[in-house]
Amino acid sequence: MKKILFIILSIILTYSVLSVGTYLAYSQTITPDINIKEQLITNIASRVAQLKLVEKRGIIGTVNNATNTQITITDLQDNTRFVDVDEFTKFTSPKSKGVFGISDIKGGETLGVLGLYNKDSRRILARFVTVLAIPKVVRGGVASIDNNNFTIDVSTIDGKKVIIDVGYTTSTYSYSREDDYIRSGFSKIQEDYSIIASGTLDPKDENKILATRILIFPDIPFIPKTK
Amino acid sequence: MKTEKVVLSFIAILLGLIVAAGGFYFLQITKKTPSSQTKIVSTVSPTPTPSSSIFLTLDQPKDEEVVDSKTITISGKTRPDAVIAILINGVENVTTPSLSGNFSIPLTIGNGQNIIEVIAVAADGESKSISRTVTYSEEDF
Repeated sequence: MKKILFIILSIILTYSVLSVGTYLAYSQTITPDINIKEQLITNIASRVAQLKLVEKRGIIGTVNNATNTQITITDLQDNTRFVDVDEFTKFTSPKSKGVFGISDIKGGETLGVLGLYNKDSRRILARFVTVLAIPKVVRGGVASIDNNNFTIDVSTIDGKKVIIDVGYTTSTYSYSREDDYIRSGFSKIQEDYSIIASGTLDPKDENKILATRILIFPDIPFIPKTK
Repeated sequence: MKTEKVVLSFIAILLGLIVAAGGFYFLQITKKTPSSQTKIVSTVSPTPTPSSSIFLTLDQPKDEEVVDSKTITISGKTRPDAVIAILINGVENVTTPSLSGNFSIPLTIGNGQNIIEVIAVAADGESKSISRTVTYSEEDF
């Protein structure tokens, strides 16, 4: 009887000691995991704070709508953007001689907005709003040349026809592998040349561009299908 | 009698060890790994090799970036046989890529918003363009 009691007690004692040992070993292995997790959470939180939700950004777009507190514009990638304005927002226009404010902004105007972009709300809090006159750029191929009126009909890559008006102030350049980038002129332009022209839109004709600069590629044929 | 006790003690310890080991093993296999610790192995598809048609990628500048220096670097990649026209507010600069197709050119921008249009025109007439808005400002806000 004593023997059996001794055996049972020995088993219980050994099991208890080992169980306690195992538990301690297990809890010791868990503690660093919890510490690492807490450390990671702290690091991530501080990193997020560092990255900030807002950043400086400058965008360009065409005005869709303007109220006292908000301007809705369509940016160059055709995305609708919401611009918030407040008492710190400064408005400027090169055409305006006097005080220029949000009430002077009209639909269809092109604006440059510099402000704080909120990555969460995707809105920009404007600090500077400027009315811009951005140049129109056309690339395509020379379809025909009007030597009398000094105009060039250009077939654009999307199949449209645009008239390029070449004036006295138009600077024409040419690029070829042989001659590199050189000054050129209206008389050097020939049909089927690839062409890049920039200038302002003719207020009387929306298909005509009053060119300020022209770049032609005499040794590169024009392919209309390219994008 | 003494030897018997020692042997029995060893047997008892051995049994205890077996039971404890069994318990520990059970604890380990039933232990749940938190999902946050689970490694997610994803296979990233390799960058597609550009086909023979024209391609253009821009590394710099980033769109809508605000810079405090008037000199910026415009870099990217296109076909090696292409000519690159970079128009800043409509004024062009022409460059050519390296044999690997990479290009990098420092250019000067104007005050405020600048529209940078990069156009790659290949020798066969194909072309591609990317537009970026970069703002020069030293204003602190």
